[in-house]
Parts: sequence; structure tokens; C-alpha cells
Amino acid sequence: MKARLALASFVALVMLYPLVVRGSYPLGVGIITGALAAGTVGFVLLLGYAHQLALGQAGFCMVGGYASAILCVQYKWDPLLALLAGAAAAMAVAWAIATPILKLRGFVLAMASLALHLILVVVAFEAPFTGGALGTYGVPKFAAVGLPLTADLAYYYAVWTLVLAFVGIGLAIDRSRIGRALKAIAASETAALSVGIDILRHKAQMFVLSAGMASVCGSLAVHYLRAMDPNVFGFAFSLNFITAVIVGGLQSIWGGVVGAALITGMRELLRGLSLPLWEGVIMGALTVVVLIAFRYGFAGFLSRLYDRFANRRGATRVALVEPDARALAPIAQPAALEVQGACRSFGALRAVNDVSFTLAAGAVGAVIGPNGAGKTTLFNLVCGYQPLDAGVVLLDGRSIERLLPNQIAALGVGRTFQNLQLFDNMSVLENVMCGTHRHLLNPRAATEQARAALAFVGLAGAQTLAPGALAFGHQRLVEIARALAFAPRLLLMDEPASGLNDSETERLGELVLRIAALGVTVLLVEHDMRLVMGLADHVVVMHHGEKIAGGAPDAIRRERAVIDAYLGVEEHAAS
Amino acid sequence: MDVSVFVQLLLPGLTTGCVYALVALGFVLCANVSGVVNFAQGEYVMLGGVVAAWLVPHGVPLPLAIVIAVAVGGGLGALQERLTLAPVRSSPDFIQITITLGVAVVLRGVALIAFGKDPLSMPGFSGDGVFHLAGAAVPVQSLWVWGATALMLAAMFGFLMRTNPGRAVRACAINLQAARLMGVDAERLTLLVFAVAGATAALAGAVIAPIVLATWDAGIAYGLKGFVGAILGSFRSPLVAVLGGLGIGILESFAAGYVSSGYKDAIVYGVLLAYLLARGGVFVFGRASLPSR
Repeated sequence: MKARLALASFVALVMLYPLVVRGSYPLGVGIITGALAAGTVGFVLLLGYAHQLALGQAGFCMVGGYASAILCVQYKWDPLLALLAGAAAAMAVAWAIATPILKLRGFVLAMASLALHLILVVVAFEAPFTGGALGTYGVPKFAAVGLPLTADLAYYYAVWTLVLAFVGIGLAIDRSRIGRALKAIAASETAALSVGIDILRHKAQMFVLSAGMASVCGSLAVHYLRAMDPNVFGFAFSLNFITAVIVGGLQSIWGGVVGAALITGMRELLRGLSLPLWEGVIMGALTVVVLIAFRYGFAGFLSRLYDRFANRRGATRVALVEPDARALAPIAQPAALEVQGACRSFGALRAVNDVSFTLAAGAVGAVIGPNGAGKTTLFNLVCGYQPLDAGVVLLDGRSIERLLPNQIAALGVGRTFQNLQLFDNMSVLENVMCGTHRHLLNPRAATEQARAALAFVGLAGAQTLAPGALAFGHQRLVEIARALAFAPRLLLMDEPASGLNDSETERLGELVLRIAALGVTVLLVEHDMRLVMGLADHVVVMHHGEKIAGGAPDAIRRERAVIDAYLGVEEHAAS
Repeated sequence: MDVSVFVQLLLPGLTTGCVYALVALGFVLCANVSGVVNFAQGEYVMLGGVVAAWLVPHGVPLPLAIVIAVAVGGGLGALQERLTLAPVRSSPDFIQITITLGVAVVLRGVALIAFGKDPLSMPGFSGDGVFHLAGAAVPVQSLWVWGATALMLAAMFGFLMRTNPGRAVRACAINLQAARLMGVDAERLTLLVFAVAGATAALAGAVIAPIVLATWDAGIAYGLKGFVGAILGSFRSPLVAVLGGLGIGILESFAAGYVSSGYKDAIVYGVLLAYLLARGGVFVFGRASLPSR
């Protein structure tokens, strides 16, 4: 309903603007706003969704602007084709630099894109084909496949139709599995990796898409200005993008459109007041103030306003439903895990020192040991979060110690975290749907699988709630459901009982047995001996980074070394 | 190769490189204690330049003008930290970093309104003469730039190596969280470092102003080129950052002299881009590329 209202207001405002505000100047402002909005919609995806700042977005506008100007003037291309060619070129450049640069930490993409932009500015001034400082003149009016749009009014509607199409693309991404993946990355990169989300890939996708949209912005503007020179899209234009999406609202695709309109409106106002020099100060100040005090921008404000009037729901309550053991299908091929000679040091500390063990397919294993024994480090070595100094990890005989966590997850290895890592920007159902990211591309199938996983852990009634609204023990269950949603062949649980009370721990034990009954191989890391001894077929005991015992629970219980490690070495007083 | 041409390019490169080096050092220090890459770093150089270059023709004695410029840089640096970063310390990184960019835009805008669009010139501290070295003519002001930079670097490294707050900064560089747990007062340290970084950058801007003219929009280039130095040291090593900044200045001067002055910036930024692509593409792979948290 809210989405429909937003769309209807958008269409109405766009339709009415030229009818209410007459004259060629305001119409031109409308066209430029539309061109800017085409770019800012993409920029919301980059800054608001992928959390990547780019200081040189205007560089991609230059690519589009020059492609349109040069191809149309010198080579007499159809403007629509030139626009598409520019966008393709911009996206190709963005794609080429995205992956290597996103790997570097410290917001390097921001400066790299600025460097790219400034290189393009120099090239535009110096190169023989751009027309140098004077630029390229006589750009024709826009036309689509030979159909000219000579009247400004027609062009105005064409531009805004394109903006609407871009908003459509943005909203589709927002609702798709990619949108969910981006929200997951924003909330917890660690947890996103654990369900197989490729962080680099999705951030790069948004950068490429935003570059294409910025290029279209450049093309559209140039067909209105009828000329292109190196100063049209300067650093100030990149700042327009940034301020627009921040003021408009980072968390909504509509924020890009709202921001483009607000920024252009403000600039016209300052021009009217003969204060054009103040533009920079005001834009910068708006950016700072909105980010500090009104994180969600104007679109977020409108959205909240709507919620206040439209939603008068009472308090939600979790309807506790009995777990449904048959909600999930059994696993056809559980995985066998083998660790050989795993080592990992942090400086002088040998956190994991030459640890080996084998876990048969379908078995329940446990790694136990006192705090600081190296259990969680071992766990991270298996799941791919840390590199091994030495040793091998085999999944069904295949070596996985060099794979990344998301690649290991894609092989069917699920995990939970000792410190809960839920995506607090999504509902419980969406959290669990993220678990299906890798293998269920169909949204309906993903929803069904997530519902089934929630029913399996006994949280069928909590789907629409925010995870933070649940009790701690229930949040644990959400995390387990998320890992179960991708039908793991091996499930690793890092201290699942920590923070649970006795009855919750007991129910957790039952849940682990039900998971094992599905055929899933389970590896628990715990220091709660009672829980482990009742569940595990095979127990590995760690102490000071080394494996001190391994075998069936009954045998372990009698081992001298284990007793010493847990209860302390008995002091044989000599006196 | 003609030695005098070589020297004629090397020495001015070294002079601008000094500015980039001080900016790079500011980047590294701020990033270490606060975890934030301060995109406003280059603007403090610009401010130091325009403030000093505006004051001198208005009858303010040169030493006082420099002191005021440095005080403006340091004061605004501290103000930036208090007003725009302290309130959002727990926000996601991209929010904090975008805020520093907004501050940069405000500083540029204020400079534009206060000092106008035209470049401001400033007389050399000891005249506008040149001296000759290995066949190259060098502005005497370069000596001031080198001297001031050497003094600042000595003071900074003395601070980092010999004083307790300096050791705390280095501890933060190794592990910010652990340093905080060990009782490093990150709040005060961050304020201190932002003030020092702002003051250093402003001093650099004031001493370079007689050579390059001071303009309101020069901050981006200083920031970007200093950023290159900071990147070379992975935002961790102050020494590599300084050397990187000097190197960028020299590279830029050689590019202008041996290749083309028009393409000078394109070459410097091209090298930056190529370096980043190579580094990300070749040296960061496998589990080392994972997010640190």
C-alpha cells in the first residue's frame, strides 16, 4: 500500500509539474532534475545498499555525456544507441576496477573513483577527439530509434519515464535475493558469509549498475544542454549525487528521486536569491546534519509519517508453536569432515596446534575444552574465516582449507555463532530466507523453505517480527533455522548453549537430535559437558590449543588428561 | 640525461611532496585512533594557505599570520572531531566517512565565500629570490618548506616514539580495540590527533602558499595525493606514508617535466589506480581478503 502510494504520488507530481509551472526555464529544471534522478537512483544502490562511497561518480556521467556528444555529432549515431553505448562503456570500466579495489580496506573505492574521474577530466581537456576545453557543440536533441523528441515537453516525459524504469529496477533489486543479500552484508558481513553470500560480488554489482545509471544521467543532460565540455560534470557534480541521496534518504530507492528534486530545488532557490556561492556550504552542512541527526533522510521521514498514520497494530506476540520435526526434508548426502594437523598461531600464541580428527557422515561430533582452549579458532579454520598456518581440512575427501567462508557454505556447510549474528535490519522470516541465498533463486520456494525451517525449530509464529523482539533463546533458534534453510550437509554450532537456561538447553539438545535425525552431520563446540555427552558420537577434547583426547563420550569421561584439564591437576602435597 | 634538468624537476617535486607527506601522515594518524579516513584532510592544507595568504596583505606580520593559520587548522580539526565525529562514534563506518566528506565540502564552501574565487598570492618568507643548486634554480621558499616539514616530522616522530600519548597512538594502530581495553583514552586521543593533523596540514598549506598560490578548491588534490601516500603504508605505517607522499610529489614533477604538463595529474592518478588494481588483484586473495569483522 505504501509502495503504491509512493508510485502514485511520483507519477502525479511528474505529470502535473509542467502543467502547473509553465515556461521553458522551469521545464528545463524539470529535465535536469530527471537526468540527475536517473543517476541518484543508482547511487542509492551504491551508498545506501552496498555502503560504498564513490567520490568520482561524475566521471561516469562524463563517459555517458561524451559518448552521446561524440557519437551523435561526429558519427551521427541514433541518440538512444549512443546513450546505451555510453552506459555499456561506463559499466565495463566500473566492472574492471571494482573487484580488485573492493578487496582493499579503508574506503579505497571512494578515492579510486575520484582518481578515475580526474583522469577523465584531464583526458577530456587534452585528447584530440573531445573538443578540448571548448568541448563538443551541436549535440542534437534526443531521439529514440529515429523517433525524435524535439519538443522539450516530450523530452521531459521521456526522461522521467526512464527515471521510473530505473526506480523499478531499484525496487526489484530491493525485493530480490540480491537486495536481501546487501541488507545482510550491511548488518553483519560475517554472518552473510556464513550463508554463502559473496560480499565482493554484490558490492561490485551495485557499483557497476550505479555507473551505468550515472552514464545515462550524463547522456540525458547533454541532450538537453546540447553541448559537452570537461567542466559540465566536475567534482561538484559528484557531490550533488552524494548530498542528494543522503538528504533524500539512503534506505529507500525513492530517496534518490526525492534527493535529486530537493537538491535541484535548493540550487534554483539559491540562484533566485543570488547566493550561488553558498551552494557548497549548504550542501556540505546538509550532508553532515542529516547523517548525524536524520539518518533516514526525507524519504525515510515520509515513510515513518505514513506508518504512524496507517499502522495502528497492537503489540505483536510470539505464538509458540510446537516444533515440527517433519517440516524439513531429510538430507540425502551428509558430509564427512576430516581435519589433519591444523595449526594456527596469533603471534607467539599457538591457538590451534596440530589438531586432527575425523567426523563420519551423519555423525554428531563435539569439540570440548575449557575457555581459551582454541575451540572457536579451530571452528573458524574449518568454516574458512581464518587461514591455516599448516594442515588440511577435507570435506568428503575434498580439500577446502583454501576456500572462502561463502564458498565453504556453498558446499553445504552451515554454521551458527557464539555471539549471535542476526541481521537486525530484516524480519525473522527474511533472516532465515537469507539462508536460501545460494540455492533457491525462486522467491516463492525461498519463502517456503524459510517457513519450513522456522517451523522445524518451533518459531512458526515469529515470522514477521524483528529478531531483536525475541527472547535470547529464540534468537538462537532463528540463527539455527537460518543455517538449516540451506539444507546443510554439515552443521557447525559454536557454543549453542551459552546464555541459555537449563530448560532451554534441554530443548536445544532435543533440537540437535532432530537435526541429526534429518541425516545432517553435526559438529558442536561446547564447554557444557552434560549437553555434549548426551548427544555426541565422537568427542574431541582440546586444551591450550592441543587435542588431548578423542573418542566416544564414555571413554573420554575416564581419560586422566581430560579430568586434569577440567578439574585442574591434583596437587600431591609432599609434606 | 641532463643532470640540471633532473635536479630542476626533482627539487620542486620534493617541495610539493612535503605537503603530500604531511597530509598522508595526518590520514594515517586519524585513521589509526578513530578508524575513520578523514576526507577533509586536504582541506586543512587549503585553509592554511588561504588564511595566511589573506592575512599578510592585510597588514598582519608574517609570523603571526602563520600562527593564526596553524591555529585555524588545529582548531577546526578539533571542532570537526567534537561536532561531527564524536556524536556518531558507534555508527557504521560508511556513515562516519561520508560525514568527513561533508565537512570537507563545508570547509571548501566557507573558504570560497570568505576568500573568493581568485587565487591568493603571498610573498616568500625570506623574499622571492631563487638559489642555484647543481644547475637548477630553486625558489628560496623551498628551504622553508623543507625545513618546516623536517621540523614537523621530527616533532611527530618524537611524539610517536617518545611520549605516552604517542605510544598510545601506535598501540591503536596495531589493535584499536585492544588499546581501548588497555585503558587508552580513545576519546581524548582522537581529539588530540585530529587537532594535530589539522594544524600540521595548515602549516604545510601556509609554507607552500608563496610557491603555488592558495585557492579555495586546492584541497581535493592535496587530499587525494596525500591519500596515495597513506594507502602505500596501508594506513598503518607513518613512515611509509611520509615516504609515499614525497614520492608522489617527485613522480608528479617528473611526469610534468618529462611527459607532459597537461597530463601530469592523469599520470599521477593513473599510477595510483594501477597500483590499487595491482595490489587488490594480485596481493590480496584468499582468506586475507575477508572483512576484518
